[in-house]
Formats: sequence, C-alpha cells, structure tokens
Amino acid sequence: MKIAFAVETGEDLNAIVSSRFGRAAKFIVVEIEDEKVVNIKAVENPGSKVASGAAIKAIQSLINEKVDIVVAGAFGPNALSALEGAHIKHVTISGKPIKEALKEVIEK
Amino acid sequence: MIELAVASGKGGVGKSTITASILVELLKYGRNLIAVDADADAPNLHLIINVNRWIKEEKYYGSSLAEIDSLKCIRCGACMDICPFDAIYRRNNEYIINQIVCEGCLACKLVCPVEDAIIRRSVDAGVIKVGETKYGFPIISALLNPGRPNTGKLVTREREIAKELVKKDTIIIIDSAAGIGCQVVASLVGVDIVILVAEPTPTSFSDLKRIHRLTKHFMQPTCLIINKYDINMPVTNEILSYAKQNNMYLLGMIPYDEAIPKSIVLTKPVIEQYPDSKASKELKEIAREVNSILDNLNDWLSKYKPKKPEPYKPIIIKPK
Repeated sequence: MKIAFAVETGEDLNAIVSSRFGRAAKFIVVEIEDEKVVNIKAVENPGSKVASGAAIKAIQSLINEKVDIVVAGAFGPNALSALEGAHIKHVTISGKPIKEALKEVIEK
Repeated sequence: MIELAVASGKGGVGKSTITASILVELLKYGRNLIAVDADADAPNLHLIINVNRWIKEEKYYGSSLAEIDSLKCIRCGACMDICPFDAIYRRNNEYIINQIVCEGCLACKLVCPVEDAIIRRSVDAGVIKVGETKYGFPIISALLNPGRPNTGKLVTREREIAKELVKKDTIIIIDSAAGIGCQVVASLVGVDIVILVAEPTPTSFSDLKRIHRLTKHFMQPTCLIINKYDINMPVTNEILSYAKQNNMYLLGMIPYDEAIPKSIVLTKPVIEQYPDSKASKELKEIAREVNSILDNLNDWLSKYKPKKPEPYKPIIIKPK
C-alpha cells in the first residue's frame, strides 16, 4: 500500500505534514507492507506551480504513483471530488512529522 | 504564529476598512503583526494603512502560454484547428498565437508534429511587493497586470513571503479577495481563524452563506462582523439567527457612520482619523475581542472550531 504525505520541505519520515494539499511543494510517498515501511520516495507536486487547478494536477501525480491514501492538513472542494473519482482515500492531519502521522493512518 | 483571514463573499462590504482598523488597534496591545493583501485585482489595503516605502519586489509568473517558433513551424495548421479558444490565427503565411486569448492549455503543443515548434512561455503576470507601513509592521501586497487573473498560486506565494518574515508570536492577517474562487480558497486554507464580514443586504447574506460553506468545509472557527448593521434591521436579525444556529462567534456590529467614508477619502484607518466616532468605538471593541481570543486561543477553539467537516463538493458532470 502506498501513502502520500503533503510536505513543504524534507525528504524523509521527519518531514512535517503540510497544512495544504494542492499547493504543497511535494509529496513523500511511503510504501508499506505488513505495517512496515519498505520504500520512501519524494515526488515534486506539479500543483504547486500552476495558477489554477492545483489539486487536479496534484492528484494526477498521485494516480501516476499509484497512491492509495493521501495525508494533508486540508483538502479543498475540488480536491475532494477528484480524489473520490480517483479512488484515493484522504486523511486530514497537519503539523506533525510523517512518522507520527503514519502511525495514526495505520491505526485507522 | 497565528493566521487570521478576513473574507466576505460579497465585495465592498468593508473587509479592508475593518482589517486596517483591527491591525492598528492590535498594535496597541503589543502584537507582532504582518498584513497580507490577497486581493491582487484591486489591492488597496496598502493605501489605507499608509506604506512608507516598498522594501522588496518580486515578479509573479502566472499560468504559461503557448508561443509558436516561426523558424521551426511547418505551417500545417494543426494547432489552429485544435485550439479550443480560437487563439491561433494565420497572417502572411505565419501562425500566430494571440497572447491575450490563449488560456495556456497547450492542446496545440500536443498536436504539433514538430518538436519544440510550440514553446511554453511563462507570463509576467504582475509583481508581489513587501512594504513597510508607517506603523512599522510589514504588508505583503500584489499588483496584477490587466487581464491576468488573481490566482491561488499568487496568494500562496504572498503567504509564504509573510511566513519568511515571522518573528515570535506573530499574527498574520490576510485580507481576502471577494468571492469563493481559487484565490479565496488559497487565502483560507490552513488559517486558524476566519473573520467573515457581512452587511445587512440580501446579496451580502447570500454570499455570506456561500463562503461559510467553505469555512465549514475546512473546519475553521468562524467569526462574524456585521457592518452598517442598523441600515436594515430585518436582515441583520436574519444574519444573527443564522450565525447563532451555525455556532459563529459574533465579534461585533458596526453602525452606519459617515466617519468611515470620510476616512477612506483621507486614506487613513477610521480608528485613527476619527477615534471617537461610533464606528471606531465598535472597532476598538472588536479588536479587544480579537485580542482576548488570541490570549485564550485553545479555550476559544474548543468552543468554536467545528467538530465535523461538512464537505463542500462541487457537482461534476461526467462525460457520457
């Protein structure tokens, strides 16, 4: 299973989850198997560079990465619709390091 | 750092006037402040709070547009046929993209058979400026070029610049644009407290409910200020009962007062120009309320932060 975390800086599990989704600088995609981390990958968020439709661009990149769940501080109205269409679940957490947020997501 | 946003849905109800006075009054409580004018179409907070000098300026590049390299172009016309905005025309055997009509979708680049004959070009859409106000705190403002839309990208960048200037316990106050579009979403997302301004007119009330759907979507605690409350008591009462039902925190009700238009003419915060006016007295009360909310933030949030999200999902019509 792949979980993507929206972040502004940092490349590892200590990076802080961003308060925003569509315009976050990047996503840290964490792959887990049997509740263990097997891979970590940083993906630039193309949504951070566009004038409008940021969330749609962000979600396209998550689809390309075959992400199952995405974690960020807030998801806008367009983001929610598109995530539903893409069958990607979302969890709202912000201001915490990824490793803590990851625990919460796994528990859920 | 705490972020506050002032928004209204409807334009012209007093966001910037109220923001300016709250800023000046909060300064008296010893708060560290940064102002962000997120209305780059019609920025004027900097006029009311008197910028002494602009200390920094950066160019803002909006969406990218397409441009044809006429040396590489083989004149096949595929781009002109595909352009959904009819932005490409032919003149003297050359294909040209009208830079004002082009929306930057780059459909032309997709169909163009020649590599790099169509290039993506960022558009110089305006500037973001950092100013020093006569009160000492900084303001982040932006000026857009004609025809270039205010965007979430621009507001996000303004908020980033504000965060770079944050000192200990800084309060960032974002004066949002009107509406509930992309730039307003970018003004609200992640903000700790939202202050909504309404006037007692059916149009303002309608837009208030629309923007309130957004703050409920983001689970944000929402305060209300009714401006010119005494010009139409029936609608004021309707707004008040709506606010009560929806657990909005009533910050205050400002009476109609000619001191406000007079102070706008003089480009001064009303609180400074006419400190003893009815409006200024209420604005001082409002600033005192804001200050005490900031002092007891966690208690206040536990009462007014929505417990459940109420998603505001647009209806998307799927292709058949």
